[in-house]
Amino acid sequence: MNIKSRNIINHSFTSFSIFAVLLMVLSLIALLGPIIIKGANAYIFNATIEHKKVLMSLFERGSKASLERETLETNEARNKLYTVMTDFETELKDLVDNDPERGYALDSDYDEFKTSVKKLLGPKPGSKDPVMMRDKFGATRWDKATELLQSLTTIKDWDYSSGMGVEVSKPRKDLYVGTKLETAFNDYLTTDYLKKMMDPGWTFYYGFLTDSSFDAHFFGGVWPEVLGTIYLTFGSMLLAIPAGIIAAIYLVEYAGDTKLISFIRSCIGTLAGVPSVVFGLFGLACFLTEGSWFRISDSPSIAAGCATLALLVLPTIIRATEEAIRAVPNSYREGSVGLGATKWECISKIIIPSALPGILTGIVISMGRAAGETAPIIFTAAVSVGKAIKLGDIFSQPTPALPWNIYNLCTEHQEVDQIRYVQYGMVFTLVAIVLVLNLSAIYLRARVSKNLRG
Amino acid sequence: MNSKTEAKPSLLFSKNENLLKNLAAKAGEYLLFLVASLSVFAVLFIFYFIIRDAVLFIHDHGFSTVFSSSSWYPTGHPPAYGALSIFYGSLMVTIGACIVAIPLGVSAAVALSDILPFSWRQVFKPIIELLASIPSVAYGFFALVVFAPILQNHGGGLLEIGVWFIGLPLSAILAVILGISASSKIGCQKQEYLFSGAIFVCLVIILYFFGSYVGNITISSGTNAFNVSIILGIMALPTIVSVAEDALQAAGKELREGSYGLGATRAETIIKVILPAASSGICAGVILGIMRALGETMVVWMAAGNAAKIPEPFYNFFSPVRTLTATIAGEMGETARGTDHYSVLFLLAACLLLFSFICNMLSEWVMKRNREKLRGER
Repeated sequence: MNIKSRNIINHSFTSFSIFAVLLMVLSLIALLGPIIIKGANAYIFNATIEHKKVLMSLFERGSKASLERETLETNEARNKLYTVMTDFETELKDLVDNDPERGYALDSDYDEFKTSVKKLLGPKPGSKDPVMMRDKFGATRWDKATELLQSLTTIKDWDYSSGMGVEVSKPRKDLYVGTKLETAFNDYLTTDYLKKMMDPGWTFYYGFLTDSSFDAHFFGGVWPEVLGTIYLTFGSMLLAIPAGIIAAIYLVEYAGDTKLISFIRSCIGTLAGVPSVVFGLFGLACFLTEGSWFRISDSPSIAAGCATLALLVLPTIIRATEEAIRAVPNSYREGSVGLGATKWECISKIIIPSALPGILTGIVISMGRAAGETAPIIFTAAVSVGKAIKLGDIFSQPTPALPWNIYNLCTEHQEVDQIRYVQYGMVFTLVAIVLVLNLSAIYLRARVSKNLRG
Repeated sequence: MNSKTEAKPSLLFSKNENLLKNLAAKAGEYLLFLVASLSVFAVLFIFYFIIRDAVLFIHDHGFSTVFSSSSWYPTGHPPAYGALSIFYGSLMVTIGACIVAIPLGVSAAVALSDILPFSWRQVFKPIIELLASIPSVAYGFFALVVFAPILQNHGGGLLEIGVWFIGLPLSAILAVILGISASSKIGCQKQEYLFSGAIFVCLVIILYFFGSYVGNITISSGTNAFNVSIILGIMALPTIVSVAEDALQAAGKELREGSYGLGATRAETIIKVILPAASSGICAGVILGIMRALGETMVVWMAAGNAAKIPEPFYNFFSPVRTLTATIAGEMGETARGTDHYSVLFLLAACLLLFSFICNMLSEWVMKRNREKLRGER
């Protein structure tokens, strides 16, 4: 091979390697982009007046006087639509009698129309209170409202003329030409008039984090899940930190280079490699099964989940702590022993304090891991629907938790598409928690390495 | 502190106090040892509890029922426990993840250790760490809600773009090199551009036909092995990169300087000298990455389609598959303790556990050998 082709190979190799690194960065952006943008939309969004009504009736938040005033204004606008609709209903009755073919066709379509109006504006004032909570309020978000408006003004149909079924949408107005409802399509079912009926405005809904959820996450926030995640994270840390740090101290400062110690080390490695779903099964068999020596409770409970998660993060903490303790220069040890300190004094007063930032880094990273793990808590601690758990119940009650409920909401919920923004909001919240923990770990580590460099 | 630690003149056990102190220190050390061996107990108990229930199934039905058939109807009448398709699903997504992760991971590690300047490395390393820290359920959510619809609606076009994206630079490089070597062999150096151009045109035509063939593939479901393989590959990347990069760093400056001194280019140095020297460390990283992909639950449960049958043809990555982890996670909630279904899930978990244990031992052994080799060299 001559110089030229060797150079070309060299350059293409270099650019491929750099491309691989850039691809990782790009995949991080591609992953976080939609989650952050759409997830933030659960907190900051264009809210309609229905959102204020939800807040007032479920959480008694907001100003009553201004809500009443706004409700009056919007109701005035809405009443015009309602009047047209009542007028049309009487006309429809006549039509069914006189021209049954067209009458029944309109009748069946009008039912659909009416349900969409109900979904958009909530129940008609003065009508019976609905049973389901999701039917008590109209569209709380402006994007949902415009979507509903779209479905009000157009009919989705399938066109088979070309052999294959093609979805086409045609204006609903055409169906109602010549009836009294036609005016509604012209005057009231427009975006401008919808604004009068819904009174949209941008809000920051901090309650998404701090409110509990209502009616299978149709309303309210994710506080029970966040609280459950906090319990599980801190509970598992409470168990894993002391055990991990002590084990690391022993392994670095006391243990010799014996067969037994290398066995312990490979057990730590094995523990780190156990798949997370196997941890879940182990937790189920060990902490929750009758006749087991370590039984914690009968049914899934937070404590059982914490114990399982603690075993999961133990190797991470041990390894990070070991590394941090090893990074403490030997001169520190020699100096303190030379001053007459006993071994334990040397460890507790010199080595641990100087290794503390490194240890903290490991702890923070494992907190992120514990907060995000799903598989170990499926059988041991998680429940799909639940209220926020009180501290006294952690030994007997399962809890909703962010990772598990993300799975649950986007695969097993009855109306998955209706609550996409809740799912995104949940993922955003979880990812934000984990990222904040990890970024602080990175910051801590940068400071440590700066200190060590002097 | 000074008053406490005043030096005592005698080192002998002349006083009871010293003896007591010594005993206390020994007892303390013993206590520390007990806590340190907690991991050992944890591992033993995990093996005990998983295998105990798995053995129940083997005792009742024997090994062959699980490994000989691929009909998995644990709740049917009569129930069938053939898990071959499930094992195959796990194998498939793991291989797919390897295809994505190994070339990218090793080259990213090379870039971080040998190519990029130090200040860039400081920027990229935290990014890789962030990639590793994102919870698996977030990856699963992305695969299910964002990636699967894109794949389902624009799958063919996406694949075509991929083919061109990979194929065009590759064929350009290939054409240039072949053109140069062909022209130098014939002896007419001046015509090398002609040769290269001709080869490039040929390659592009081949690429065009292949691309349009791939572009016509319609993906019936976005939740399939292909989707999961890519996501799992990205998830395994950080593990492979960080372990492989450590191994590359450990290969030492002397090797690189020697190779450069002999006139090798950077690519030749890395491919022919550094990668072989660091091969065992890279292998360890790859094994750890494979373990991550194999043991991953949420992504495959959410986005692999969960169909317990072997795809047809067997290499069809666009068909839904079901893996060991997804089966365990999905079915455990619906079984009662003591039933055959319960224990067969434990058997699957035991297989998973055993496999990850073997992988772990393997990577540890490889690393140890690597360390000894490096120690021998110095």
